[in-house]
Parts: sequence; structure tokens; C-alpha cells
Amino acid sequence: MAGGSKKLTKKEELLLQDFSRNVSTKSSALFYGNAFIVSAIPIWLFWRIHQMDPYQSMILFGIVTLVCTYLIAYAYKNVKFLLKHKIALKRSEAVTREVMRKVADDKKMAKQEKDERILWKKNEVADYEATTFSIFYNNALFLLFIVLMSFYILRSLSPAVNYTASMATAGGLLALFSTSSK
Amino acid sequence: MDSIFFLSFVAVLITFPVFCTGDTCLSPVVTPQVYSTSEASLTSETAVIIEFSLTCKNHLKDLNLYADFNGKTFPVSRVQETNRYQVSWSEAHKKLPSGKYAVQFFDEEGYTNLRKAQRSTEDDASNIKSLFTIDVTHQGATSGAWVQTEFIAVSVSFLIWYLAYNTRCKLQK
Repeated sequence: MAGGSKKLTKKEELLLQDFSRNVSTKSSALFYGNAFIVSAIPIWLFWRIHQMDPYQSMILFGIVTLVCTYLIAYAYKNVKFLLKHKIALKRSEAVTREVMRKVADDKKMAKQEKDERILWKKNEVADYEATTFSIFYNNALFLLFIVLMSFYILRSLSPAVNYTASMATAGGLLALFSTSSK
Repeated sequence: MDSIFFLSFVAVLITFPVFCTGDTCLSPVVTPQVYSTSEASLTSETAVIIEFSLTCKNHLKDLNLYADFNGKTFPVSRVQETNRYQVSWSEAHKKLPSGKYAVQFFDEEGYTNLRKAQRSTEDDASNIKSLFTIDVTHQGATSGAWVQTEFIAVSVSFLIWYLAYNTRCKLQK
């Protein structure tokens, strides 16, 4: 019976992981790493195009980049959570078929274990797809906000104000939009 | 006696140019640097600046030079105590399309002849021999691309976002 309870715990864990907003350390590292790179890229734009001196504005660049990293990572997490279930539902059939084909020869395998494998695979596929898509979607939106803000809406302001305001707005809007349920 | 006098006269005639340097620069060696406007949207006219160093075989210095460009003459300014000279002028963008132009340079004697030729209807000014010529290769002043780079950047990022949004909508259906 010990094995049975262990299995149940594993299943519970999977279910919990499936429905919680918490992300694994691996995917968290991926989110923060990506968010950092994306929020550091505008430094180049403001250095080379808006002519800001990187040494003089080092502190400002650092603070804004860190704040933006947090906001972007927050947006990544939210969008991933939202998409994961939808993707899991969409890919459910295909994943089930694939896993069933793989374990078809194994007659000894219990139905419960097969279901568990399907669930596990579904979770893995949905997690991977949601993570990558969330990064892509948010990066695209962040890029659009930054370019639009810095080149058009705030172009008349001084570069330092332009940088701070456009980064804050882009990060803030990204985080705000990620909380919508649609 | 006559022949000795004649021979010495010939000898003086032959050696005379060696001692007499005159005002004309002999076999000038010119190292020019040419600038011409390439950007039209921020400038009202195309400017041409020619800076050059001039060395004459007969070591002439501080010459008064004049530049002739398409029938217009400009005085050349000299940099004090060097053999460097500079001349600049500007014209409307349309009057100076891209191409290769030859700028002729005259010393005072040549300039006087040129003025004379320009004044009189009979003489052709193009026959006056210039001291040297500098070629100006003008790239043409352009006002940049038709579409601003910012607009292209915004359009491309909007397109990428639209693709992402479309995919997201499909996933969430």
C-alpha cells in the first residue's frame, strides 16, 4: 500500500503543479534570465540612438533594468499560467494518442499508470509550450511599447526622462495586460 | 671680340632662369582634401570645402591663388606660415547634383588673364591655362530614405506582435 500512497502523492503533486501559479526553479530562472536580457536591450537604443552616456547614466540604467526585469518576469508568469490550461486542453488528444501508442505493447501496465503518464506528458508539453510562447508574446509586446513610446510619444523629452518613462510604461502595461483573463 | 660678347650674352640667357624665380609656381605638387555636403534634410545649401597643401619646385610661398568653379571665381585663403590653402563656397542643392567637377586654380597672373577673357567677348576663358586642377567628386546631397527608420521599426514590431497575438487567440479559442 505504501507504493499506492506514494503514487497518489505524486499525482497530487502533479495536479497541484498543474493548477498553481508557482513555477519551477528552472522555468523561473529562464523567465528572469530572459526578462533581464529583454529589459537590458533598450540601453543600447538609448545609448546609440538617443545619445545617452552609458557611464553617466549607469545607476539609472541599472535601477530601471532591474525594475523592468521584475515586471516582465511577472508578465511571463501570468501569461504562462493563463495559456497552460488552454494548451493542455488543445494538445490533450494528440498527447494521449502518442502516449497510448508508446505504451500499447506493454500489456502489463495498469490503466492508472497509463493515465498518470498521459497526465505527466500533458503537463510537460503544455508547460514547455506555454513557457516559450509566453516569452515570445511578452517580448513582442514589450518591443512594440518601447519603440512606440521612445520614438513617438515621448520623443520630445530629454533622453533620461524618455528612458525612465518609456521603460516604466512598457513594463507596467505589460504586467497590467498579463493580468487580464482573456 | 663680337663673338665673345655674343657667347657671354647667350650664357647669361641660358643661366638666367636659374637665378630668376619669378612669381609663377613651377611644377606644383598638390595634396588636396575635399569635403562636400552629403546630407540635405538639415542643410539649406551644398557646401564644398577644398583644403590643400602646395609645394612649388622654386619654393614659392604665400601665393595669392584663385579658384574657378563653373565660371565663378573665389579667392583662396592661406593658412599663415604654412603651405596650406583653403577655399570654400556653397550652392543650392539642385545646382550641384552628384558628379565629378574640376576646380581650376590660378595665380594672380592667370587670374588677371581669366578676368580679361571673361570680360571680352572674343577670348575664350577656357583657353586660359590654370596653375593646377583639383577634382571634386560630389556624392550628391540626399535627404535620406522616404520612410523614417522609426516608422519601419514600429511597423515591424507591430507586425511581430500581431503575429503573436493571432497565435495567442488561436490557442485560447
